[in-house]
Amino acid sequence: LFHDLIPQYTYLSDPFEQPVSESDSDDDSVEDIDEQEIYDLISSISDPEHPLSLGSLAVVNLPDIHILPPTSPYSSISTVLVEVTPTITHCSLATVIGLGVRVRLEQALPPRFRIDVRIKKGTHSTDEAVNKQLGDKERVAAALENGTLMGVLRKMLSTCE
Amino acid sequence: MSHPQEPLSSILRPLSTLSPPSNSRTWQSAPHPNLPLVATACSDRTVRVYSLTSFTLLHTITGGHKRSVRSVSWKPGVKGQSVLATGSFDASAGIWRRDERGVEEDFTRRRAGGDGYEDEEEDDDDYQFSCILDGHESEIKSLSWSPSGQFLATCSRDKSVWIWEELEDDNFETIAVLQEHDGDVKCVAWHPEEDLLASASYDDTVRLYKEDADDWVQVAQLNNHGMTVWWVEFEGSGMTKKNFCAQRDGLTDEQARHIELLERSGPRLATCSDDCTVRIWRREPREGAEKTSANTGIPSIIRSMAIDEDWIQEAVLPQQHERAIYSVSWSQKTGLIASAGSDGKILIYKERWKVQASNGVTAEDQDTPMTEKSPLTEWVVIAELFSAHDVFEINHVCWAARSDKGRRNDDDEVILSTGDDGEVKVWVLEEGSVIPET
Repeated sequence: LFHDLIPQYTYLSDPFEQPVSESDSDDDSVEDIDEQEIYDLISSISDPEHPLSLGSLAVVNLPDIHILPPTSPYSSISTVLVEVTPTITHCSLATVIGLGVRVRLEQALPPRFRIDVRIKKGTHSTDEAVNKQLGDKERVAAALENGTLMGVLRKMLSTCE
Repeated sequence: MSHPQEPLSSILRPLSTLSPPSNSRTWQSAPHPNLPLVATACSDRTVRVYSLTSFTLLHTITGGHKRSVRSVSWKPGVKGQSVLATGSFDASAGIWRRDERGVEEDFTRRRAGGDGYEDEEEDDDDYQFSCILDGHESEIKSLSWSPSGQFLATCSRDKSVWIWEELEDDNFETIAVLQEHDGDVKCVAWHPEEDLLASASYDDTVRLYKEDADDWVQVAQLNNHGMTVWWVEFEGSGMTKKNFCAQRDGLTDEQARHIELLERSGPRLATCSDDCTVRIWRREPREGAEKTSANTGIPSIIRSMAIDEDWIQEAVLPQQHERAIYSVSWSQKTGLIASAGSDGKILIYKERWKVQASNGVTAEDQDTPMTEKSPLTEWVVIAELFSAHDVFEINHVCWAARSDKGRRNDDDEVILSTGDDGEVKVWVLEEGSVIPET
């Protein structure tokens, strides 16, 4: 699905290499990050179709953001779960929106967070397939090496500073 | 997730980090079949070849791929040179060669000398690009040479598995395009003794293929995983003489029959998945029929039935991963299994005879609905390492022969883990339950 959008090779750097956004580069701190901060990071992402933010379209909503602490005292890995609500059930861009949310959070949050982005249950006709795709690290990595798709994502994220 | 457990009997001690690390995600590492080298597939489009003697970078293979190198595989059984296959997100596979005649001599000499650390002997003759295999429509996810070196299997997001045969140097022919899967094919692996290929997929299944009268066909399909299957790997050859079965004294008749069954079944299969499980599969030996009648002129539809294989799920390993498991690896020396994945942990599992008496030693907590009778063996976790790559995900784990100066005997092994932090780390499994201060 990601790849059907634009077939074009241009190598682009992985989000793990260099966080693009400087505003949130406090990744050495172990300070707590709360749901509101996650919301603030993603609500300003632009919808790929409309000149509106995901927050104003209620695609991302504060009650649908959950931070799960490490499951063991030996682990420092926390999980951020974001459920997005596409504007219409057949929104073909649900995958791109979900990818934008995932990329934004991977760039902005310290690497001790695992990011799980899902389509809110029952809001999209193919939510299972989209969820599987958004959860597939290898597919996401390959998508981010796709120059034109990264262009779309950059545009979506350009309103995030 | 938190079953009451026995104390872990072993620890993973950090031995080294291959240096310098890549500054971007590393996907997979392949130890050389006979030299103390490891090749690592990197997302910066390169392959890094490190020494397992000095743990330093010897070569960086660049210029072949336009996108991430996802997978690397050394061709086995080659004399005088090293042949490396690389699979990339750019949809192509590359073949690289390097003359190793001088190196082999040097390695021999070094072993005799005992110490001998150098980086210079490798000098400048680099891996030479030899040819490119085009055909897949999208990212290659994995590739693997067959044990004889005759075949190379590749698999891709385009849902297909291709088998290539090298007719002569640099002349590869596609001998099969297998399109059984309904989703990305994540991994391919060969049986160590037979030309039997396994593939794991985004469609949650594992499939096995064999050649049947010039045609490669699917001979089995494994369905129990509930999510994407990330990795598939066969057990080593003849493991009942090396693993927990090797000690034959005092076995019950039932246990002796089980070993005989394992020997008739041949190497088993391990798979791991997004569903956070590692599963072990065993082939049911054929009843009676010694050889199937492949050349008797029976119509092909019946003949295909005859080569179908019956693989059953033998075990689910203790479930101690909390996120997707990306990689699982059998030790060829001991039969231990290592697994790693998104939760950043490395787990080591050991198989043992199950204590049959109801003395409460064994926790009955595994769902193995496939087996009617209670299994004779069980798998236990003997080592669990958190945050092996700090907070980063681990994309691959494998066993390799130990080659540094700490090696004490020929069967010593190390574990290599490959992570999102760009690092390949080298670990030694040691007995003991205390985490040492290093």
